[in-house]
Amino acid sequence: MGWFSLRGKPSANTGAIADLGVGMVALRLDAGDVAPPGTVVVMFGASGQARRLAPGKVASSPGDTVFCFHPGPYTVDLAPFAAAPEWGLRVRLLIDAPNPHAEQQRFDLFLYAEHHEQGGQLSLADLGAALQTALQGELAQGALDLPPCTTLEEWHAFRAGFNQLLYTRYGLTVDDCVPVDLGGQVDFADVLRARALAASVAADDAMQAALALHTMSALPPTGVPDAPPTEPTLQPLSPAVSQSDPQAAPHSGSQPISKPISRPTKQPIAQSTAPTALSATADAASQTATQPAFHSTPPATEPEPRLQPEPPTQPPPKQPDAHTHQDAASLRRLFVELPVLSRHLRLLVLPEGPAIFQAHQLLLLRLDMASLNVDTMPSLAWAAPDQPLGAADQARRTAATAIAVAALDEAWSLLARLHLAVSEEWTALLHEADRVCANLETGLALRRAPYVPRQEPEL
Amino acid sequence: MTTFSMTATPLNAACTCLLADGRLLTITASRRLRANRADVKCTVPGAPAVSAQMQQVVRLARHTEARLDSRDQVVLSMDIAPDPGQREWELAAVLADRMVRGLRPIPVGAPPMAQGWSDRWHLGQASEATVDGVAIGHLGALDGHADLASAVSSVRAWFPLHSGGINDALAWVEVSVFAIEAGTHDDAGEEETITAPELDLAAQQDVRQALAGARHFDGHGLGRWRTVVRFGQPRFQGGSYQLALVMADRLARGREFVPRGRLIATGTSRAWHAGMVESVEGREPKLALISTMTAPGDRVLLPADWEASLPPGFAARLRERGASVACIDRIGMI
Repeated sequence: MGWFSLRGKPSANTGAIADLGVGMVALRLDAGDVAPPGTVVVMFGASGQARRLAPGKVASSPGDTVFCFHPGPYTVDLAPFAAAPEWGLRVRLLIDAPNPHAEQQRFDLFLYAEHHEQGGQLSLADLGAALQTALQGELAQGALDLPPCTTLEEWHAFRAGFNQLLYTRYGLTVDDCVPVDLGGQVDFADVLRARALAASVAADDAMQAALALHTMSALPPTGVPDAPPTEPTLQPLSPAVSQSDPQAAPHSGSQPISKPISRPTKQPIAQSTAPTALSATADAASQTATQPAFHSTPPATEPEPRLQPEPPTQPPPKQPDAHTHQDAASLRRLFVELPVLSRHLRLLVLPEGPAIFQAHQLLLLRLDMASLNVDTMPSLAWAAPDQPLGAADQARRTAATAIAVAALDEAWSLLARLHLAVSEEWTALLHEADRVCANLETGLALRRAPYVPRQEPEL
Repeated sequence: MTTFSMTATPLNAACTCLLADGRLLTITASRRLRANRADVKCTVPGAPAVSAQMQQVVRLARHTEARLDSRDQVVLSMDIAPDPGQREWELAAVLADRMVRGLRPIPVGAPPMAQGWSDRWHLGQASEATVDGVAIGHLGALDGHADLASAVSSVRAWFPLHSGGINDALAWVEVSVFAIEAGTHDDAGEEETITAPELDLAAQQDVRQALAGARHFDGHGLGRWRTVVRFGQPRFQGGSYQLALVMADRLARGREFVPRGRLIATGTSRAWHAGMVESVEGREPKLALISTMTAPGDRVLLPADWEASLPPGFAARLRERGASVACIDRIGMI
């Protein structure tokens, strides 16, 4: 809970609060901060229930999270195609009054699920970048269409899809959206020149790397199992895990209890395999647990010199630490958003027909199973109660969570398309939903597996 | 067949490759339910190292795709084993993998022939790559898109070339632009920076005038670029390529929305400096050619004069194939 530490410094947010409505869309407030007039305060209870309050001095009880946002309007310029940076859309957005029919406002959920971390601040630039990424992804997949020389009908269809996407995915209302020439802000010639410069600077390195790759590629390293964790990589991992787990556990709500249990159970095993490790710290015990045969021979004084050379190897833990944070944030998103998504999907009005009804029911069932899968997801850093996981396997697990989160994003945009779909399009969209569910399940299954799953033997 | 829909992707696809030692290699891809198996499986008779390399290549090339579909397993197999050092089959493997999943159309008739290898498949870039005799620098070039990592932005657009019925074909024009220092050439010298090395002098002059005029209409691209124009088929007559040329130039300079597939355009103009698009001859054969050659994601641009006389169901037929059509009287925004 990072915001406890900010309590003693009520002035930490003043600069950002003054910027609300201009360069800052929303930020998390601490108790004692004053939300300026014209903004909206959203208070999340410990259970995640949100309620909107009038602006003023924030008085929150422990366990509450308070966000404050300015309803806008904001103007952002988006480039819908990465290859055409000079041709863009100027979008005016606002965060609307709450929809009285909805149990939870989508924008509140967006704040709670995606901006809990990283200081809780959502700047306009960050929001614009997120919107641009979402728009480019939709256009690349063909969910939205914005072809060259757009006709008026195509433009209207695009606008409808884009408005619905932003409302369903982010809870934002598009007030106005016009194509605009961004030539004054971005110069594509400069972009190309920068690429040429970067290429010429890196030319030698690239040539070296290409030569190395070319010689190596005759023996591709596919199928080679991950190298067993060596001591220098395993050793820094344990402190990183122990300091990041207390943060991750309350946020994600899905960390199992195997981690606290594993601490006590580790000591007896370390004793039985290597009595010399008795005097060592818990970190050294995790070493001996993985490589008992290596440690059984040295004399009793061995653990002390072995611990000495460790400080130089401390910098590497940054990488696993970043993995831990990313994985926890992704799991938190899945945990918070999947039930809401499936509630929205349940509320859709279906076209007539048993086939679509059954497909819809199956979709809801699969989403519920995925939600259950997220709720019971094992800890990132442990393969089993007594076996810490190597950094490579942790990275692989984090990548698998990223697959699941990408599927979650696609599911939200699919929901937006289902809102607009006429009955003929439902079959194709439910087929798309099948793909999204399969990706979600694949990502979660890979995240759950501690090691690379066994695949069918190659012939 | 080249029809594309979400549900009816092909079960098999093939791509051939002419190896350097003269042997013809066929890579066959088939698709089946994944059922928790590996996403790509490769088999090469008697050469397990090659099959492992093929799996790695295909997996790396999949990083450049926008859509992830984990439902299917693709099984790739070679009919003969290449030598361990040979790598020119890599592009064929990537194309077969894409065709079988419906990401690329399968041409009617003989399977495509592709040679090319790469150390940067994860960026989509390929070296010494040709597909059916057309050189490409990266995978997006098959749809005429610019390489997002390259300092030279080169974009292709297609135009129908009518040459007496059976020889009708879609020809392409490629515009490559490279940034130069502003002020090196003044506005009057815009035509000096445009070269079309394969054309005769009169055709070169037409190309230069069309591009310079369109850039005047744009108002932003003057004196900034060195431009090279290449044609897939340099021997033709008439000016119906000009709309494709101008649109490719706008795409290459990053000043136009990018189509998902290819851009197919026909149209000319006597007033590119005003952005006008005028009609061209040969409407019926060109429309017939376009309606058979479009692939999913393609964008078809026709002169506005043709709109009233389009054959009934033309737009619907293109939409069925995943393409879209617009009849325009001027270029630019809406």
